[in-house]
Amino acid sequence: MNRSFSLGGLLRRPEAGALLGLVAVLIFFSIFGGTSFLKIAGMSSWLNVAATLGVIAIPVGLLMIAGELDISVGAMVPAGAMTVSIISGHLGLPIWLGIATTLGLGVLVGLINGLMVVRTVVPSLIVTLGSLFAVQGMVLGLSVFITKSTSVALKTEGLAKILLGDFVFGQLQVMVIWWLLATAAYVYFIHFSRFGNWVFAMGGDKVSARNAGIPTERLTVTLFVLSSTSAAFVGMCQAILYNSAQVAGGQSFIFNSIISVVVGGVLLTGGFGSVIGIFFGTITFAIVTQGIYYTDFDRNWSSLIIGVLLLLAVLMNNTFRRAALSYAPKHKGAK
Amino acid sequence: MKRVLRVFAATAAAIVLSSSAMAASIAVVGGSNDDAFWNIIKKGLDDATPGIVANGGSVNYLRLVNYDNFAPDVVQLIRTAISMDVDGLVIPDWVSEAEDPAIRDAIAAGIKVLLMNAGGADKARELGAINYVGSDEYVAGVAGGEYFAAHGQKNVLCINTLPGTANIEARCKGVIDGITGKGGKGAQLPLPSTSFGDATAVAEAIKATLLQDATIDGVITISAGDADAAAIGIGQADKVATTMLGTFDMNQAGLDRIKARTQLFAIDQQPYLQGFLATTLLASAIDFGTDLPTFPVLTGPGIVDASNIEATLSGVTKGAR
Repeated sequence: MNRSFSLGGLLRRPEAGALLGLVAVLIFFSIFGGTSFLKIAGMSSWLNVAATLGVIAIPVGLLMIAGELDISVGAMVPAGAMTVSIISGHLGLPIWLGIATTLGLGVLVGLINGLMVVRTVVPSLIVTLGSLFAVQGMVLGLSVFITKSTSVALKTEGLAKILLGDFVFGQLQVMVIWWLLATAAYVYFIHFSRFGNWVFAMGGDKVSARNAGIPTERLTVTLFVLSSTSAAFVGMCQAILYNSAQVAGGQSFIFNSIISVVVGGVLLTGGFGSVIGIFFGTITFAIVTQGIYYTDFDRNWSSLIIGVLLLLAVLMNNTFRRAALSYAPKHKGAK
Repeated sequence: MKRVLRVFAATAAAIVLSSSAMAASIAVVGGSNDDAFWNIIKKGLDDATPGIVANGGSVNYLRLVNYDNFAPDVVQLIRTAISMDVDGLVIPDWVSEAEDPAIRDAIAAGIKVLLMNAGGADKARELGAINYVGSDEYVAGVAGGEYFAAHGQKNVLCINTLPGTANIEARCKGVIDGITGKGGKGAQLPLPSTSFGDATAVAEAIKATLLQDATIDGVITISAGDADAAAIGIGQADKVATTMLGTFDMNQAGLDRIKARTQLFAIDQQPYLQGFLATTLLASAIDFGTDLPTFPVLTGPGIVDASNIEATLSGVTKGAR
């Protein structure tokens, strides 16, 4: 790979447009949100939200690149929170057992989702819609059966609290570090290993990908396991951080993760996108939703402002991508 | 002989009549088995039942199996109670459009009806029910706002994670009216639906608002789960010492915070009292003709704070809180 640096090449990368959208909303809130928005406390406001969402958004985005969808993450967040809280809070068993069971549940649901999608011809939207309700029902039923309540307290101390549910530098959730590590790992696997090429090939044309010898079924199952385990992980960390878990909630993660992925430049039709783009898209979404609180706008208009800004970010991203992809540099002799 | 028979029949009839007038058989309609709230109500009526049984009566708790076919199922339970020939019916008027005709039929059939938990005093008067036992969201909110004022808070923020929902809006409106009535300031922070159920988004929204307005010294949330997020948000804004936290409803984590003095109070509608008082009042009206002048009977707001936390916690272990 003997690629020399070129601005056109850089701008043609899928994440360039997403970065542009991010910079735009950052400038918007720096103007209307004042200085406190850019101070540590203000930055942690959106970084914490972005991290919680981002850990889920990247595997959801990879599934979308591969042409699939996982909406059961909305049930896996409270499922992860309740599992660790019931085992380590209500039953008083060691926290490590609660963590292992929670992640195991994530793997199990992911396996079921993946195998159902691969073995049946049912679209993944419908399969994961089914598991969304099934997991919600199971969590509610088991929680009430075991604890006679829909809310369970959890007290965690020591290493588990420090690693999973605490703050670093006073303001940043430890989740931010997990998010950065996960992003780095995904960047490596998707953009610097053959695993990544397979994912893109699958989203482009699944049949051809399989004919070319790509293990599409194993790959699909792996991606579903990643997304549901990530969602269970986030729910678990939230329970440890907030010392409590509720059966309800978590559904907002479905829409929020898909929005972040699309704002990050992934095509809804699959086959195009990047991990860094999703990373930027998640930050954009978090800035837009949390930045409102640093402005003087009437809070009743929050949803309207969020909607308009997100639409603008995507429009900018798309227009820019089309311009960049159709841009042809003048020939300067041989390549 | 004929005369003897007639006397015998008259006596038998008198016995039947008197026993039906003296021994209240009561049906109580309630929410599903896996709804924790309705299990606390059950504890209340279970505790009331021995007294009613001692007077020859009985209590029958008719519960919804689930909420999938809500209004028709509730109406069916009312019809079941009518066909069981009960003397009294305790019924939450959740969906008045669907339930009211059936409730009127029950009253027309000679059944004494008492509204519990849902419906309100006006509805009880309109239908001809003997009373309403339950809470009032607005009154509960006012109590929360006044509690803040009584503890020195001057600027209270009501975190509304479900803007537009009528009973939640009533809670926040009550809080604001309560604090402003005592000379303080109150406002609502409506959160967009993107943050509902995402504890971090709620916590960060509260943190940001506290950083923007340093005069806010009271925060109240509309649910126990939101209070868990608010506690972290206040901590992250470094305002634990100055900004007091209150909430509607309670969970174990919130009670732990009240015990540790990191949360000021929780507002409870006290479902135990709803089950206990509704059943007792109705049985007493049927058996002894009592008539309570207090109308409606409000079981909430009950405020849980440091002064009664120990008793509350022991109530939790007994399933009454």
